Amino acid sequence: MSSVLNTVREAAWRSFEADGLPSSRDEDWKYTDLSRIAAVLGESWWSAEAGEAVAADEYQIPDLNAYRLVISNGVVDLAASEIPDAITITPLAALLQDDPDAAVELMLDDSDAPFASGVTALNSARASDGYCICVAKNVKLDRPLHILNLSSGGAAHIRSGITIGSHAEIEIIEHFAGSDSAAGVTNSLTAIRLEAGAKCEHYRLQLESSKQWHLGRVEVNQKADSSYTLHAVELGSALSRVDVVDDLNEPGAESELNGLFVLAGRQHVDHHTRVAHEAPHCRSREHYRTVLDGRSHGVFNGKVVVAKGAIKTDSAQSNANLLLSGRAEIDTKPELEIYNDDVKCAHGATVGQLDKNQLFYLKSRGLSEDEAKQLLTFAFADELLAKMKSRAVRRFIERAAFAKLPNLSGLEDMLV
Amino acid sequence: MIKIENLHVSVGGKEILKGINLEIGDGEVHAIMGPNGSGKSTLSNVIAGRDGYEVTQGSITYRGKDLLKMKPEERAWEGVFLAFQYPVEIPGVNNAYLLKAGVNARRKHQGEQELDAMEFMQLVKEKAKLVELDQSFLSRGVNEGFSGGEKKRNEIFQMAVLEPSLALLDETDSGLDIDALRIVAKGVNTLRADNRSIVMVTHYQRLLDYIKPDVVHVLADGKILKTGDKSLALELEERGYDWVREEAAA
Repeated sequence: MSSVLNTVREAAWRSFEADGLPSSRDEDWKYTDLSRIAAVLGESWWSAEAGEAVAADEYQIPDLNAYRLVISNGVVDLAASEIPDAITITPLAALLQDDPDAAVELMLDDSDAPFASGVTALNSARASDGYCICVAKNVKLDRPLHILNLSSGGAAHIRSGITIGSHAEIEIIEHFAGSDSAAGVTNSLTAIRLEAGAKCEHYRLQLESSKQWHLGRVEVNQKADSSYTLHAVELGSALSRVDVVDDLNEPGAESELNGLFVLAGRQHVDHHTRVAHEAPHCRSREHYRTVLDGRSHGVFNGKVVVAKGAIKTDSAQSNANLLLSGRAEIDTKPELEIYNDDVKCAHGATVGQLDKNQLFYLKSRGLSEDEAKQLLTFAFADELLAKMKSRAVRRFIERAAFAKLPNLSGLEDMLV
Repeated sequence: MIKIENLHVSVGGKEILKGINLEIGDGEVHAIMGPNGSGKSTLSNVIAGRDGYEVTQGSITYRGKDLLKMKPEERAWEGVFLAFQYPVEIPGVNNAYLLKAGVNARRKHQGEQELDAMEFMQLVKEKAKLVELDQSFLSRGVNEGFSGGEKKRNEIFQMAVLEPSLALLDETDSGLDIDALRIVAKGVNTLRADNRSIVMVTHYQRLLDYIKPDVVHVLADGKILKTGDKSLALELEERGYDWVREEAAA
């Protein structure tokens, strides 16, 4: 093993050992408490053992025609995968073994990066597998790539990198799921690099088991005229914290971050996003919606930073939250940091219950109180899902989301 | 069809309706006219069952049943329909779904078989012609991005599909240009039937040029001050409402 790689990973481990996990005293972790993780998973929770592996076939997305990359309990399973010829996919484990110098770049741990914490240090220190995807310039992948991260508890630290060459295009469906045979933690870090004019449609579907803790990070680095769209869906896990850091580094880059949480019971989901306009003439959009039932707790922190010199920045952000229960809680904080004048930035957040006038209108047409409520809840969430280009993913999420809330009769008719 | 006796209604502790008496027979078309703030919309909202209205006295009997005991959706199942003064926009809920759910909820309530997708589409296609609505709006969100005129036409279209026994048209003419008014009126006239009563609540008599009422009531200060035939509407148009008040006070 390369001594540089060793040094990087040992330093990350020492950093984790010294500082541990972030605590609620840290402003970025004010609402999300990881301190119970040792009580749930044991003292050495970062190396907890998984339960019996689950079969990938049970977690397919109906009607989705896609290539497939399966990661089972943190280990890439090429035998269960269907890899397209047009792109190269190298498991991180192979890279660590055969090309440590190349692995170093991916494993670097930058403790000054936004939202860097003990979680990211741990990932740098412990990740033993993941994937490096390389889409050569001008390649447009003909089908989406379904990256199925399956877990049956235990700890999995997954580190991945996706490089999309200039004017190349790819649609990625990162899908986290698994069985609840044992408690576990997923620690996933995916770095995406878009060269000039590249396009990436990124679905990030978190449907982990109710016993899983989910810690995720998405780093996006965009060059000129590239376009990145994220559809982040949070349905599963006991606790989930995902950080999205998107840097628009060159003129003409565009990004769109869409997020939907549908939570029930005592679920806790926290997304911290940071979009940095580092160059002029970039455009960013961000739309987050949450539907919170039971005693669930949602946290949304969306920061937009416009650097000095990033003139003609066009940025808009919205966050709408629907509380279905008096005991559900949302903490939302849109933040803008602007260091020059010539920009167009808008943001806003709303928190509310269902609209009484809409409810009455539906009831006056013969829908029962329950039907009317379910329909309005569905419509609220579905407006966001309508931004998805993949019909198969949208249907899949619609069904999964509403399986969590009381059944909507005739849902099929709704799906026009 | 419906009999309202000594109806007193308060909103937020303030009495709006102060003893309404009104009886509407099967197949009759009544117009309720009155100045702004007279309680016209309160009356239609109370009949449809909207929250926030407190009935302090009196009763409403609809086809022999106590209407005030029913939930809004039960009233819809029993054939009460309100065409809203301000139809609500509901993005994300498409028109076709809303109507199908409404039609089938009522059919189920009446012990009839629910319509399947084919039967339903046939029904709505036929009814959409009545108010000259383009079919593409069926897959759009309820009233989403509709113009004022389109919203009102959509209300009448819904009325045509839901085939109510008692239809309340709350200021249906407001905000309509003359062409849209004609289309809406034509739709309503086509829906006149021996077993369907229609109540038009309106500020102006303009609508009544197109939909001829059997009976005209003047509602002012929370009471019905005068009842007459179509000629009463014309007289109101000419003389305003004050003379009715004075006559009632005398």
